Parts: sequence; C-alpha cells; structure tokens
Amino acid sequence: MNRFVFLAVLISLRTAYSYQESLVFPVTYLSVSKDLPLQRLLVEWDVGKSAHDAELSMSFEIQVSRTEENTIVWTEFHNVTLDKSGEPLHWNWDSDLPLECMSHSVRIRSKAETSKIWSQWSLWETVLGLDASNNGGLQIFPDEKVVEEGFDITLCCIGRKGQIIKEFFLSPTAHNFSRTNSQIGLLTVKNVAHQEVPQITVYCQASCKEEEKEKCYSRTVFFVGKPPDTPNDFSCQTQDMKTVICTWSRGGDTYLYGRHSTKYTLFEEFSQNLIPCTVSCSEQCSCSWDINQQRVYNITLTVENPLRKKTAMDVFDVTHRIYPSVPFQLWEECTDTEITLYWKYRNKGFELFCQTEVLHPDGKAELHNSSGVQLQYASITLGGLQPYTEYTVRVRCGAAKHFWRWSEWSEARTIRTEEATPSGKLDIWREITPVLGGRNVTLFWKLAPSFRANGRSVSYEITWEKVEGDSKPEHISVSSVYNSTRISIDNCPYKISIVAKNNVNYSLPSVVIIPGATGTEKELSSSELKDDRVNGTDDGIFISWESRNTYDGYIIDWCNFPTSQPCDLQWKRFGPHTSSALVSSVSFVPGVRYNFHIYGSVANTASLLEKKTGYLKELPPLLDPTVEQVQLTFHAVTLSWDSYPTNESQPGFVRGYHVYVSPVQEDCNLKESKKHVLPGGSVLCKYRIENPEEKRYTVKNLMPNTKYKLVVKAYTGGGETPIVNFIYIETPFNSNVLYLLVLLVIVPLVVAALCHWKMKWVKECCCPVIPSPNKSKVLSFKQITIGSEKVLKVSDCVPDALAVDNKSEAQKLHLWSHMSSTPTEDKINVHNSSWTYPNQNGERDFASTLKPITHNWFENFAYSSHVAVQSDPYQNSEPSETSKPHLSAVLYQPQYYIDILNEDAVSAHRQSTGTKSSLRYISQTDVHCLGRRL
Amino acid sequence: MRCNARPLGVLAAVAEGLLLLCAVPANASRSAQPSYLQQTHSLVRHMAEDAQELFVFYETNQRLNVNKICRSSKWLEGLPRGDVADPLAPGALQDLYGAMEHVERALQTILQHQRELNAPGAELLRRLTATHLKVRGLLNNLEGLLRAWGIAPLRVALPQKPAVTKVFQQKLEGCKVLWSYSRFMSKLSTALDAKGLRERQEKRRQRRGSRRGPRGDKRARRS
Repeated sequence: MNRFVFLAVLISLRTAYSYQESLVFPVTYLSVSKDLPLQRLLVEWDVGKSAHDAELSMSFEIQVSRTEENTIVWTEFHNVTLDKSGEPLHWNWDSDLPLECMSHSVRIRSKAETSKIWSQWSLWETVLGLDASNNGGLQIFPDEKVVEEGFDITLCCIGRKGQIIKEFFLSPTAHNFSRTNSQIGLLTVKNVAHQEVPQITVYCQASCKEEEKEKCYSRTVFFVGKPPDTPNDFSCQTQDMKTVICTWSRGGDTYLYGRHSTKYTLFEEFSQNLIPCTVSCSEQCSCSWDINQQRVYNITLTVENPLRKKTAMDVFDVTHRIYPSVPFQLWEECTDTEITLYWKYRNKGFELFCQTEVLHPDGKAELHNSSGVQLQYASITLGGLQPYTEYTVRVRCGAAKHFWRWSEWSEARTIRTEEATPSGKLDIWREITPVLGGRNVTLFWKLAPSFRANGRSVSYEITWEKVEGDSKPEHISVSSVYNSTRISIDNCPYKISIVAKNNVNYSLPSVVIIPGATGTEKELSSSELKDDRVNGTDDGIFISWESRNTYDGYIIDWCNFPTSQPCDLQWKRFGPHTSSALVSSVSFVPGVRYNFHIYGSVANTASLLEKKTGYLKELPPLLDPTVEQVQLTFHAVTLSWDSYPTNESQPGFVRGYHVYVSPVQEDCNLKESKKHVLPGGSVLCKYRIENPEEKRYTVKNLMPNTKYKLVVKAYTGGGETPIVNFIYIETPFNSNVLYLLVLLVIVPLVVAALCHWKMKWVKECCCPVIPSPNKSKVLSFKQITIGSEKVLKVSDCVPDALAVDNKSEAQKLHLWSHMSSTPTEDKINVHNSSWTYPNQNGERDFASTLKPITHNWFENFAYSSHVAVQSDPYQNSEPSETSKPHLSAVLYQPQYYIDILNEDAVSAHRQSTGTKSSLRYISQTDVHCLGRRL
Repeated sequence: MRCNARPLGVLAAVAEGLLLLCAVPANASRSAQPSYLQQTHSLVRHMAEDAQELFVFYETNQRLNVNKICRSSKWLEGLPRGDVADPLAPGALQDLYGAMEHVERALQTILQHQRELNAPGAELLRRLTATHLKVRGLLNNLEGLLRAWGIAPLRVALPQKPAVTKVFQQKLEGCKVLWSYSRFMSKLSTALDAKGLRERQEKRRQRRGSRRGPRGDKRARRS
C-alpha cells in the first residue's frame, strides 16, 4: 500500500516538474520605436499575466535585423525577473548605422528559467527607414554629426525609389568603405582623424531627370573632435573674502567650435544652485562670483561638449582659501648694514604672514619671514648687509591662519645701503727697474677678496719713505680708475704704503719694502737664474718651487700679454707652506710663452727665488725652417737653417728637427733613416735631430744624378705642422761611372768594329777557311821541295780512305762545275731569295758576303756535309729535290760550295777536274774549325 | 595648435588696404576729387585681387572645389549686373554704394557662420575679417565721394533673408557670395581701368590738339 502511495506521489511530482519544464510564455506584445537624436531603437514587449503573477525569472532572446541587408545584425539575451506589477519590459539598442538609412526589425522569444523550451519567435516588428518612403529628395544621414576622433562613422545616402546613387564621397578624402545598393549608398569611415579643416564634407549624387537637377545632389558635413579634458587642477580661492574665483586649465583643443565648443557650468551642491558666473578662458579658465554669508562650498565644475561631459569638484571653506593680494607701495629706510622695508596690503580682516626676498649682488637670494599685524602697513628689518651695496627686495604674503597660497611677488625694489669705511687691505705688488742714480718702481694694486671699498668714489693714497733715517715721506693720490703708478726712488731701501680712501674714511695700509740698491742688484743678478720649463694643463699652468722656511709667503708674478707693453702684470700670493700652484688666467692662450717669477716674501720684502717659463699648450711651429744652404755631392746633401729662431717667438719649445727626404719619382729607402708615410701613401725617409741648436744636417747615401725632394720641419711639444712644401735638389752625375762605361762598352765596341773591318785579315790570321798546310801537320812528312812547293810522295802517306768515282759521275760533276762557274750572279740571286740569316737586328743576307767574282771551287765532302748540317735551321721549309736523302746529291748541292780565293786550292781543283776517274782526297783535319767559322 | 599658413601675408594685405584708406580722407573736399578718385580706384583694384584670392582660399579651405558648385551663374542679390562705363560717376556711385553695402552685410554673415566652424584666429577668419574691413573702407570712401558730389548716401534697406541653418548650406552660400563678389570687383576694377585709359587718351588728345591748334590756325590763314 505504502509503496503505491509513494509511487503515486512520485509520479505526480514528476508530472508537475515536467509540466514546469514545458511551460512557455510567448511574447504577447512587441512594440519598436526609434529615438533618432540618440540613434536608438526602443523595444517594448510583454508576456502573459501569468508569468508576471508567478514572478518568473525569464530569458529573452532579442534579434535585430536590417531589412535592406536581410541579415540579423544583433542578437542579445536579456534576463529579467518579472514582477506582479505587470509592467511591460524594455530594451534599447544603439545602432551604428543611422536608423533613417534602413528599416530595422526586432523579434523576441522567451524562456522561463525553469523551462527548457524556448517560446516561438514573435513576429518581426519593424520601424521603417527612409528607404521605404518615397518622399523628398536625396538625403544623407547622419546630418552634421559630431564624431570623436578615432571612432568610426557610417553614413548613408538615400534616394527616392528608382534613383541610383552615383557618387558618395568625402572631402577631404578619408579612407572609407563605401557600397551602394542602387537606392542606398553606405559609407563607413574607420578611425576618423581630425584634419586641417574642422569639418568633413560629404557629397552624394544620384541619377535623376534634368528638370529635377536640384534633387540630384545632397551634401552635409560631419565634425571630428575630441572630448574635453578633465579639469584636474580645478580650485577656488578668495583674495578678500568677498569674491571667490575658481580656476582650471583649459585643456587641449577639442577641434569643436561655435555651438559645439566646450561649455562650462559651475554648480554648488549645498545650495543646489548654478553659480552665477561668466567663464572666461585664455590659457586658464576662470569664473568668479560674489559670496554671501556661506562659508563652505561644494562646487562641481562640468565641462561638456557634444562628445563627452567631464566633471571636477572642489569642496572648501572660504577662510581656508585665502590668496592674498599683492603687497604694494614698498618703501625703505637704510643704514650701511641694514634695510628696513615697509609695504602696504589691501587685505584686511585677516592676519598675514609675509616673506621678503633679498637678492644679493652675487645672485644669492635670502628669504626673511615676518608676521604682519593688521595695520595699514607692514615692515621688516633686514640686517647683516654690506655697506654701499645694492640689494633687490620683494615681498609676498599668505594667510597666517590656514595658510593656502602665497600671493604674487610684489614689484621688486632695488636699494643701496649707505657708505662705510673701506674694509680689508689692498693687495699690492711692485716692479723695480734700475735707472741711472736710482730705481723706478711701478706699483700695482688690486682689490683683495677681503677688501671692500664700501663707498661710491675710491681713490688710492701712496706714501713712500726711506726705511732708515728721518726722511720726509712723499705722497701721491691716484684716482680710482687706475690700478698702478710709477715712482722713482734712489738706491736706499724704501717703505711704500698704499691705502684706499672713500668719502667716509681710509682703509688699512698695505706695505711693501723695496730693498736698497745692493739688494736690487742681487735681485737683478738673479735674472741669470735658469728658466725652468713648466707644463700647461687644461686648467692652467702648473708651477712648483722649492719651499724655504725663511719666508712667510710666496708670490708668483707673470705677464698676461708677454709680447705687449704694458704686459698686464699679474701676481698671486701663496702661504708659507705652499710649494706649488696652478696658475690660471682667462688671458692664457695656447702657443704663447709665459714667464713666471717666484718670489719669497718676508716682512713685506720680496726676493726672487726661481724663474719658470712655459706654455698653456704648445703648438706646432708656425713656420718651417728656411733651408739656407744646400751643399750637394754625388751621394749626399748638406742642409743648413742657421737663422731659424728657437726663442719665445715660437708657439712651443722647439725640441728638434725632422729632415724628410725622398726621390721625386719613387718612395724613399735610404739607409739610417726611418720611414714616414704621407697621407697620400708616398714614403719619405725621416731623420731626427734632437738638439734644437743643431741646425745643419747631411743626408747621405743618395744616388747620383737623381732628383730628390726634401723638407726640414721643426717640432715642439705640440708636434709639427703637416708637410706641404718641399725643396727639390738633383744630385750631380758621377763621371767615374762614365769612365767605367767607356772602358767596358766603347773599347770593346771599337775593337769589335776593327775586327769586323779587318775581318779577312783576322780570319786569315786567326782562323783561316782553308788552313795553311804549312801551319798544319799535313806537311809534316819527309818532303821534297820543288821551288816553294812541297811534294808528297804517295808512297810516303797512308790515306785515311780511298774512293773511286765512276766516270759518269765525274762527268756530271764536271758539267755542273762549268755551269756554275759562268753565271755567278744568278747563283747570288738564288741565295738572296732563299737563304736569309735572321737575327734580332733585322735580316742579314747570308749571300751578301759573296762577291760577284769568278769563283774556283774546292770540293771537300767533309766540309760540305758539315755545312749542310749547320745550315739546316735556315733552310727553306719547302723540301727541295736537292734535300732528298741521297748522300751524293746532298754533297753536290751548289750552295754548299764555298769559294776559296786561295790559289792553291784553284790549282788543286784544276788537277782534280783534269782526270776522268778522280781520286778524292778526304781530309779529316780542321773540319771543326771551318764549321765553326761558318 | 592650428597652423596659420599666411598670417604675415594677410597682415600685409590688411596693412596695404588700410594704408590706402588712410591716404583717403573721408571728408574730401570737391577740390581734392581727382586724387580722391584715384585713391578709390587703387583701392578697388587692390580689393579685386584680394577678392579673387579670398574666393580661391575659401573654396579650397571649405572643400567646396567639387563640381564648381560655388561658381554659379546666380549673382549675389544687390550687386548690379550690367556694365557701367564710369562706376564712380555721380549717377552710378549710389548704385555702387548700395552694392557694397550688400557685400558688407553678406561678408558679415559669412564671418558669423565661419566663427562657428573655425578656431579663433584661423587663417580663413583672418582673411574674411581683412576683406570685410576693406569693404567697409571702400564704403567709407564711396560715402566721401558721394558727399563730395553733394549727394547724401542712400542707405539701402537690406532684405531680411531666412537664416540658413545647415552648415553645408552656410558654407556654400558663403562661397557663392565670395564668387559673386570677386567677379563684381573684377568687373569694377576693369571698368575703372578702362575709364582711366579713356581719360588719359582724352588728355593726350587734348594736349596734341592744343599743340596743333596754332599750326592749324596758321594753315587755315594760309588757305
């Protein structure tokens, strides 16, 4: 039973739950309207009363579509809990596209939170755009809209039905996306930027009939601007507790003017009233109004333009916001060390606290505070001032109670204190010049840091008297414009005192003792002290000296302009324990030699101790040494520049010289020199002379008959100037070389020429063509002498070889011998055309040595054979028949015959040709000699 | 900050105009008429150039140089259309005075509109102000001339026009006014130049005539 009951309950619950899940509350009412100024769709709808009564939590899905585009442009879920009031539901939607451009439709469906089922969509509810109407002409939307810089804007141009949008553009042109759908033109500008003109003009043109031309065009503008800046520095104050003025910064340019410009309103929260003030803005905006009895204010400033509204607040008690007016009518009373300053102020009714600024002549400012009393005027006494000194004073005040802000500074007033006795001593120095019978002493003075003239007109009183004896002091007075004077004294020691005098009194005297002439002489002789060189630094010239216990101080003097007269003598004093100093002067310039004298001072008497000389910075010499003398030899040149100065006229201490040498045509490479490469890359030889007084140098190892360029440069601690100009020398020609040349070349040439001229004789003598049998071993046999001839018996000789020519061969030979013996010139021609002897100097005709004379031929096979071999390289490359490998033919070639003018040979030839079967003698001696000659 | 491209140029133009105005006493006597006319002629010539420059600047600055929309054939109301041989002659002077009053009023309206659209001190405002000043100066001159002729200047009752509220329309109206004004001043200047030329030619002719006169008499006597 129980089980059944349980199941029944369960089923009923399940049914109820399922029922709830399936409950739907469709939209019963839907209304859409548009707010054109805000470009906003206003949607109102409702569901059934039961849903309200059940106070259901419901979700609504809302969709917005643009009719023209046929797309859903927005979908949003809107959750709401219904109440029993039964009020319809609302939802707004801001359109990025002007609502005029297209018709917009909305539909909604609903779902109870407990339900899983969405209701059916409501029907589309449409608000029509102007595209649906056919009224009017061409229109552009939005019209004269203000767009914030950096935002987007979408514009549309709507024509009447049937009209076609032809052109839709902006001027000035901006990057835009435009699309036209015959009747509607859309144009979207992304990230709108402010341009040089405050408005952007939109042009639209549609097609239309000629008579309706005015309706073809539509133009409008839109404004690009910025929202106003928040006035962060908004604050209010009062000067007199009667009027409150609020100020704030104007902020940046919004680019919106006229009716779109920024508007300001001030609203008082406590009284809930607008502040009745007129805002004026230049760099700052301000607004002032008269206050009544109200003391505490809560002001809200609203800064607004069509794009944005910004606010700032200031809550204040007027008594805590007192900004006093400027103190005025300043006047003073003063002594030599005090000024009492008086001033007036307009603020009455509250106590002021004032501050006086005293500006000292050195630019230092001092602030003095004073509490004012509520009198007609206030005052302050400023003490500790210097006599006869100008001070600039000004005053400002603030509220003593609840200080808020200082007033503006009053007008500055310059006040001079009264005169007083000169304070401190003059710093004096002297220069002693011996003259005949005494000395001239030039006295110099300057205002020591401790000295103050304390008066308008200062003069200097100089008194001098002998140190010993009761002489009457002498006295002169010098005007304030001078800082030196000259007096003449004798050789006795003198005491000189100088005081400054103003309208009130004298200063304390400054004393200098001039020792007697002996002392002076001693001092003057010390001018022989050697000048030590000192170095300049970036800050001055560093000087050190030997400290001595006997002096109570040291003095260094020098001339600021050593080359001028007067040289502007300067001096500087140092304490007894000082032994070095950095002397600086604005007059010191690089390249000028300054001489410093160091004096020891004791009891107002100074003695010269050391002398120093140096440059602030050494510079390279201005001028190169002028090479005055050039001594030239074959291998050396001596240069001299004796007149070159090394004194103080130089812009640095001359440390030595460099001699640069180089052959004109090539780089230098001389022994004992260093290489110096010029910027152009050419190499010079460099010689260094380290003694500035050594002004002569010999450059050795030069080549004779060579042109050299050379230059002498002086160098200082500042280096040397770049090499620009050279002098040019040319070493003389060495005649010994000529002699040697003559010996080695010309003599052999003459000998050779002679040899050539007497070639035949030489040949005969040294190397005959046919060796004289008498000079050979041939005739070294037992001989029978017939007259002058030696006769060899056949029996006495053993021939090397015997050859027997046949008869026909002998005949051929004989015939050839005849042919060749008569037309000699023809043979020469043959030689001329075919046998040339090439050498480097041209062609030398081998046959040219042959002479047109009758020849007798001596036939010697050994010779012919040898000649043939030797001549082979010069043979015509075209093989002739005579050059066939046939020994006999080779041997008989006529060109290989050598004419011999020897009578012996002729007779031998006759003998040989006279026999039919000839026996040939083949000599194997002297072949080598003859072959070589050929 | 807005950049004013030609403040010095505008100042120079204003200074030039004012200099011319200063040189012309308002109550010039009848005896001073020749130089007075000459000064007015010079001022008109200067204003013609200025009007042309102002129109071009306005048209470009306001981005109205599209399809020549400013250069309509429609003439500014109150400006005489026909050619006048001698605009400074007593008969035509009153018309010219009335025309310039229209121009002065129209310029005032343009200035008022442009002040709404431009930053104070903008170049366009400077130029418009300078031109407005010159027009007022010319009016002053013309009044002086009228009085010198013994004519009391007749104040023209300017018609009340419906206010243009649309910014683009305001700009366009201004542009059209300046176009008309520049053309009118150009015509005026040309007419005065032509008149001046005629006068010079006449004088030359008279001088020649007076030189030839005695000779001609002699010839006549001989014949």
